[in-house]
Amino acid sequence: MSALLTLENVSMSYPITSGASGGRHSVFNNINLALAGGERLGIVGRNGTGKSTLLRIMAKIFAPSSGNVSWASGTTVSLLSLGLGFRPDLTGSENALLACMLQGLSKRDAVAELASIQAFSELGNYFDEPVKVYSAGMRARLGFATALKNRSKVILIDEVLGVGDQIFRDKATAALREEMSEDRAVVIVSHAEAQMRALSTKMLWLGSDGQRAVGDVDEIFALYNQ
Amino acid sequence: MPINDALRVTLPIRQYLTLMDTLARFQLKAEARRFALGYLWWIVEPLLYVAVFYVVFVKLLGNRQSDFLVFLAVGKLTFIWFSKSVNQAAMSLMTNRGLIGQVNLPKHLFPLSIVQEGLYRQLAVFVFLLLFLTGSGYMPHVAWVWLLPVAALQYLLIVTCGLLAAVLVCIRRDFQMLIQLGTVFLLFMSGVFWDVRALEDTELAGWLMALNPLVVLLDSYRQVLMHSESPDIARLFWVLVEVLVLLIGTMWIYRRLNFWLAQRAVTQ
Repeated sequence: MSALLTLENVSMSYPITSGASGGRHSVFNNINLALAGGERLGIVGRNGTGKSTLLRIMAKIFAPSSGNVSWASGTTVSLLSLGLGFRPDLTGSENALLACMLQGLSKRDAVAELASIQAFSELGNYFDEPVKVYSAGMRARLGFATALKNRSKVILIDEVLGVGDQIFRDKATAALREEMSEDRAVVIVSHAEAQMRALSTKMLWLGSDGQRAVGDVDEIFALYNQ
Repeated sequence: MPINDALRVTLPIRQYLTLMDTLARFQLKAEARRFALGYLWWIVEPLLYVAVFYVVFVKLLGNRQSDFLVFLAVGKLTFIWFSKSVNQAAMSLMTNRGLIGQVNLPKHLFPLSIVQEGLYRQLAVFVFLLLFLTGSGYMPHVAWVWLLPVAALQYLLIVTCGLLAAVLVCIRRDFQMLIQLGTVFLLFMSGVFWDVRALEDTELAGWLMALNPLVVLLDSYRQVLMHSESPDIARLFWVLVEVLVLLIGTMWIYRRLNFWLAQRAVTQ
């Protein structure tokens, strides 16, 4: 299957704002990667290696400092991060509707997805309560259900699945395996090795200088844990 | 910076407008939920302004000018549309950094949804203002139709200033303070409390109108609503030209800085 997303020699650096040096802080260099439909890519790496930044580049939110990122025609991307994106004064239902519309669904299609988002998130009557009264787990469930149901071709998950309870984590893992058809792909960033092993079909290891290795799950974890 | 075509973010105009409208309506809903009086504040707020003006200018300062209360109400209730919208739009990229960090959208969507929210609120204020005018003896007149183009021009000015303010605050948070101070400065410099036509120095009046579009707009509202006359069309036309030039420049900045603004909003 042709790649939904391809990264060629992608590097990222930020300008250093403190001090008068005017230099740049390099986050990572020369990432090369192709993500095909049906694949679930796990990304491991220590804190500060740029995992979240890489997801934002994949999500078309940041442009890389150098290198090339290309998406197959019509590829929509949904990024799910902890504590981001929800408006606390709006209800779960309103936030889900907005999230679907922000991902490109028409208002009518977004409204049509609300029932399945409510059911999958298991929020019950809380779906119509403001998100500010939600626990972290409830927010994660709403975010995950919205991302799963908004028909994005690529779902990028940044440390979200570790927050829900075990039952929801199992349900989310199963859904990612079952509902992600051959034309959709998932990228997961997590420090939970068991979950990464259960979900990923291939792995990317990010080191302090960029890409250390891409490959088979067992092989990468063996290297990463050394 | 290498940006391939897939990164260029465009939304069909209908989808964009629906999204902007939905964001604005949800923001209004959320705001209404926060207050016990909810949507009633749309009317209570202008009512309180008029009440305070009455106490201060008529009762305390003993102003004998029969139409001064109406003069103030027309000036203040239209000026506040500008000042509130621009100040709120200024913060819109920062307050929406969560969404900006998750979805690649045209960044102007956020200040524009705030401006749209202000427009919906202002519609209620205009209804209140027209009722207040009628109750004060100013009978509806065919010249009131001019209210529509004058308000449309003010909306365009608010859109432009709101967009520009949001970019400036995203570049440096310090601009938030300058914009707040700037709108207070404009409150005194735009003819809310004085009549530009009453200035003895006509050259100065001309300069004020040329440099500050709000002077022209506030004067136009008063000409239309209080004197049932058409506004100074030539001056309104020049305001339109100035605003359009600035708007085109501002939209170019948004297009050019789409990713930089996201990075700045998320990491600042």
